[in-house]
Amino acid sequence: MSEKKLAFLPGCPSEATALDQEISTKAVFKALGVELVEIEDWNCCGAAEAEDPKLVYALNARNLAIAEKDGLDVVTPCSICYYNLARTNNALKADEKLRAEMAEIDPSLSYNGTITPKHILDVLMNDIGVDELKSKIVKKVEVKVAPYYGCYIGRPLETAFDDPDDPVLMDQLIELIGGENVPFSYMKTKCCGGPLMMTRADIAFEMARKVLETAKNAGADCVALACPLCGMMLDAKQPDVEKALGIKIGMPVVYITQLLGLALGIDPKSLALEKNTIDTKVILGKVV
Amino acid sequence: MPIKTWELDPNFKNEILNEPGGEHLTACYQCSTCTLGCPITEIVPSYNPRKIIQMSLLGMRNEVLSNPDLWICAICQTCTARCPQDVVVGDVLAAIRRIAEKEEEAGNLKIESPRPLFEKAFLHTVEKYGRLYDIGLALEYYPKREGGKVSGIKAMMNDYKDFGMRMAFKGKMGPLGGHGLLKGVLPSKIKKTDVMKKIFEKVEGK
Ligand code: SF4
Ligand code: SF4
Repeated sequence: MSEKKLAFLPGCPSEATALDQEISTKAVFKALGVELVEIEDWNCCGAAEAEDPKLVYALNARNLAIAEKDGLDVVTPCSICYYNLARTNNALKADEKLRAEMAEIDPSLSYNGTITPKHILDVLMNDIGVDELKSKIVKKVEVKVAPYYGCYIGRPLETAFDDPDDPVLMDQLIELIGGENVPFSYMKTKCCGGPLMMTRADIAFEMARKVLETAKNAGADCVALACPLCGMMLDAKQPDVEKALGIKIGMPVVYITQLLGLALGIDPKSLALEKNTIDTKVILGKVV
Repeated sequence: MPIKTWELDPNFKNEILNEPGGEHLTACYQCSTCTLGCPITEIVPSYNPRKIIQMSLLGMRNEVLSNPDLWICAICQTCTARCPQDVVVGDVLAAIRRIAEKEEEAGNLKIESPRPLFEKAFLHTVEKYGRLYDIGLALEYYPKREGGKVSGIKAMMNDYKDFGMRMAFKGKMGPLGGHGLLKGVLPSKIKKTDVMKKIFEKVEGK
């Protein structure tokens, strides 16, 4: 990677429920020598709740415009922030009239389409790249992992950066750090249920159960993921899933940055591994 | 369900085609790929995006707009990615939901799902603070969903008591954070909330 500086969009959960992802992302990028410059005064991307594309474009045009002023590509650890940034970028790049419409709402929404938004998994594997990562890895993380990608990494196709049905980037990263991927293809990209949590918890819990129990039955020590909303549903809500369905799962769920951080020799505390809801000690015992 | 041809609204498909995201509705050739891959159909077998599209094309406006299934789509975009005709199914369903919301606002329809209330409560916090504020969202959403303050707070406590304790214990919300005493309890507010206001006013025409 030639440019060692990126604009950073943490996303709303970074300040509370996904503090573990936030802390570990910053620690990993620091260890890799890539500076993250937080987008000043960034706003919410609209998540899945902004259903009007125009609203999504306006909210994300502002964040993109702030990063563009510094001439930096944007990276985010949140899959839905990524999806909203990327589709806004595509739409505004292709449509001058839409760009003018945005600028009309407020001058701070003037975006010229000169930067590229990216997801951290994309930056780690495709920009920083395997060779560079390899050179910085000092420990083996010998865990069995169920790599969970969820939505928006491989679909929709216009914004995807991995295969829609059988994505591989996280699998490759896990192998790189000495881990083993359990058979999980069928579940890799199934939705975690997050968007239905507040309105149809019964369906959402069932969706989360499927992901977690499939990982467990495949013999995984943990599920690895790359999205704070998946983290909310699969980790923070896991005790609620257990209670509602009368089952016991107890499946540790970690962010891919936490696993990579361990391989880079960062201490577990600096990766916030004590902040995950389901105890992650089983992983620490397998770092050699 | 028998189709009452005299009740069909041939213009319904045009309504959808004119909504952002609904532009590709008519490309559907009813192959069912969308439905076969849908994670919701796996759990709720009657859920059928292909059928919603077929009924829309036929002009079954009332049946489509009042179908509670519209509101259990998880917006996962599996259908969108797999549709051989590039219908952008996920966005078509969103377009139909927006038409239903407009009909409800006009007093012509009662939506049998709390999802519009949830989405509005979410976006209200974004409009006001520039970022999602979970507690503000819940304090608006639950009382509206339950139709009263007391029952709303009760339902909220029921859903979030354990969760809130867990998050506080892990230092992700509340006084044990060490990253600000009231982390997650108070809203995280951006400086340019005036721009948020403009965005919502101009886009939503409020
Ligand atoms: S996959 Fe596409 S073409 Fe096939 S039924 Fe669904 S919307 Fe229609
Ligand atoms: S976007 Fe909705 S309809 Fe399409 S596959 Fe996902 S849940 Fe099913």
